[in-house]
Amino acid sequence: MRCGILTRLFSVAFFKSVALAALIPAIMGLAVAGAYAAEDFGPVEPIKVKEKMAALGKRLFFDKRLSGDAAISCASCHMPDKAFTDGLPLSKAYPGSDGFRNTPSLVNTAHRAAWFRDGRLGTNLNDVTRESLTEDYFMNMDMRLMQERAKQDPVYVKMFKDAGLGEPSNGGIRNAIPEYLKTLISRNAPFDTGNMSDDARAGFELFKGKAGCASCHSGPRFTDDQPHNLGVPENPEIWRNPLRHATYVAYAMFMGIENYMNIRRDVGAHVRRHKADGSDIGTFMTPSLRELKYTAPYMHNGILKTLEDVVAFYNRGGGDDPNKDPRIKPLGLSRQERAELVAFLDALNGDPLTGPDFVLPEPVPTNYEAIDDWRDATN
Amino acid sequence: MLFGKTTYLVAVAAIAAALQLVAPAAVADVNPPLAPLGDPPVPSDNAQTTAKIELGKMLFWDPRLGGDASTACVTCHEPSQGWAFSDDLSRGYPGTVHWRNSQTVINTAYLGKLFWAGAAASLEKQAPSAAKGAVAGNGENDVMEARLAFIPEYRKLFNEVFGDEWPKIDNAWRAIAAFERTLVQTDTPLDQYLRGDKSALSEQQVRGMTLFTGKANCIECHNGALSTDQKYYNIGVPPAGRWEEDGLAQITFRYEQFAKGVTQKMYRKIKDDAGLYYRTKQAADKGKFRTPSLRYTLYTAPYMHNGSFWDLREVVDFYNAGGGENEFGATKTPAIKPLGLSEEEIEDLIAFLEAFSGPEIKVEAPKLPDYAPLPAAADAN
Repeated sequence: MRCGILTRLFSVAFFKSVALAALIPAIMGLAVAGAYAAEDFGPVEPIKVKEKMAALGKRLFFDKRLSGDAAISCASCHMPDKAFTDGLPLSKAYPGSDGFRNTPSLVNTAHRAAWFRDGRLGTNLNDVTRESLTEDYFMNMDMRLMQERAKQDPVYVKMFKDAGLGEPSNGGIRNAIPEYLKTLISRNAPFDTGNMSDDARAGFELFKGKAGCASCHSGPRFTDDQPHNLGVPENPEIWRNPLRHATYVAYAMFMGIENYMNIRRDVGAHVRRHKADGSDIGTFMTPSLRELKYTAPYMHNGILKTLEDVVAFYNRGGGDDPNKDPRIKPLGLSRQERAELVAFLDALNGDPLTGPDFVLPEPVPTNYEAIDDWRDATN
Repeated sequence: MLFGKTTYLVAVAAIAAALQLVAPAAVADVNPPLAPLGDPPVPSDNAQTTAKIELGKMLFWDPRLGGDASTACVTCHEPSQGWAFSDDLSRGYPGTVHWRNSQTVINTAYLGKLFWAGAAASLEKQAPSAAKGAVAGNGENDVMEARLAFIPEYRKLFNEVFGDEWPKIDNAWRAIAAFERTLVQTDTPLDQYLRGDKSALSEQQVRGMTLFTGKANCIECHNGALSTDQKYYNIGVPPAGRWEEDGLAQITFRYEQFAKGVTQKMYRKIKDDAGLYYRTKQAADKGKFRTPSLRYTLYTAPYMHNGSFWDLREVVDFYNAGGGENEFGATKTPAIKPLGLSEEEIEDLIAFLEAFSGPEIKVEAPKLPDYAPLPAAADAN
């Protein structure tokens, strides 16, 4: 890690003083959720990885042969130069389908407690990898075929062996991709290095205080990993585009969403508990606020183009929904305050993860050589 | 031993002679004779209607019944390629190649089981297997059914034909099966001949028929109106050449072993298609495939389950040589023996085989309806 121990110590001291400063508006009755301790925020912990397994995971991540028709790789939607998003309001999907949600960033994904915008998987990245590979409208891959494809590539045969994973297998793939994802950790954001502008510092105070952001955007990644309803408006593109709508219907069928042919809204994290009173409809997982510079547009359906739009949305008290979280109220932020908040969010952008540690230097070949001694070779 | 060697030999000869005497009575040739083909059976739970057939035809052509909306039934069952695919191994889903030869759809209405090893019990079951298999259509029910709901003309037709409020995917397979039951051919030269028109076959073809039912003994398995006993045999077709030289084909070959659940030991060693074995897991069924009908074969080259033979001459040569060798030698049927056919006899036989096919069946491709946005329902929230 570039971030040495001295810097870390400095950061901790810095946060302590910041936390003290945060007490002042709290005492004045402006803070929504009280004071935050230094350890509530801070650098995202790097994760120690098995290097050979991570290198294998990286190659797999960029390999189009991991999708059913070999047309897309993980990186088709999770692009390194966009903090592993795609820059689109609504993601693309597997050919023949089209996406109904905004592609979430994969930076710091290894620290999440639950995955996807609706938090439908709360187990681990192995399951997330399986879901992403096999879901009809993601990569539509039969993992048995995926295994045999990997076994056909001598580069993989060696990499799996070197990584201690034996011969290529779908289980090995589902271990290796998460190992690579664990390397995608934010680093050197001004917030972490203590190099924030005055505006950003002022924005941080608002973040913890008057604007109340920290009541959900807490912790090193600035998320509580919980679903909430902000009243984000529906993205009408989903319902007027038959491919996107059909893809949502397929998702809804599979997730057991009632009345799926007639509803015209994304029920979000309702799929986690299916609350009978519907009070969880329209909740979505709090996203991390790190690397936002690279991940526009915003919200689960990409309905907001810029961070200024996002701050303005919150300043208005969010959107219109009977189940809106009561903490979402008009904030009364001035133009200056809104700019300070955006400056703070800008201080959460780290180094782009676009170097050779994270990106393959050249594309993975898409063809397969035949095994020479086929008749005698062990399958 | 009580008996000397000579006595023993005499006894054996006596028994053999006795057997020969009774043989014609005991194992009289029970092969059903060749016969003209009648109307196909229609299952009582999927009646043929004009609207259903028309819907099935559209769906047969519609690639949206597949994973990435590129691969329809027709993609591997091309009318211009004998309602099959004119390569040894069928083309597969994009990014793959299939591992078996694509079979014609013509006259499948009569078959008790579908696929080379009889893995599907009806046309209604065959269609989804093909649409969903990873190296065929690679579709999933939920996505395919959802797509149908966004095609207004399908909503209308599924409602009319099946009473569906929203198109149900299982009804798509029923409609496709109904369409396939119209793809029959019952007026081949052979049918006409067998119905009494003796001019329908040439003299050469009649000589070929005599060989077919006699010296060449094709009738042993290719019998009845459909020219198949619908039983399973290993005739020693060699493994597909593509498996030796084509990386994609090797991938699919191993995938099939994996997917069909063979033992680890077998997966590691096998280099050929074990056919019926995958269904029964009985060693005696390794390498066995269902006798295919000979009808419409004029248009369906190449032949055999892996497309090993590119024309009928190669097929007849293969049988004339007593079949071939594969790794399932123990299960090779004893019915396959060298035939000793002369060059002229081979030509007569091939001429007769051509009488199993009438004119090429051509169908104009349907116009496929478009997607459209789905208006909000009255009770939408």
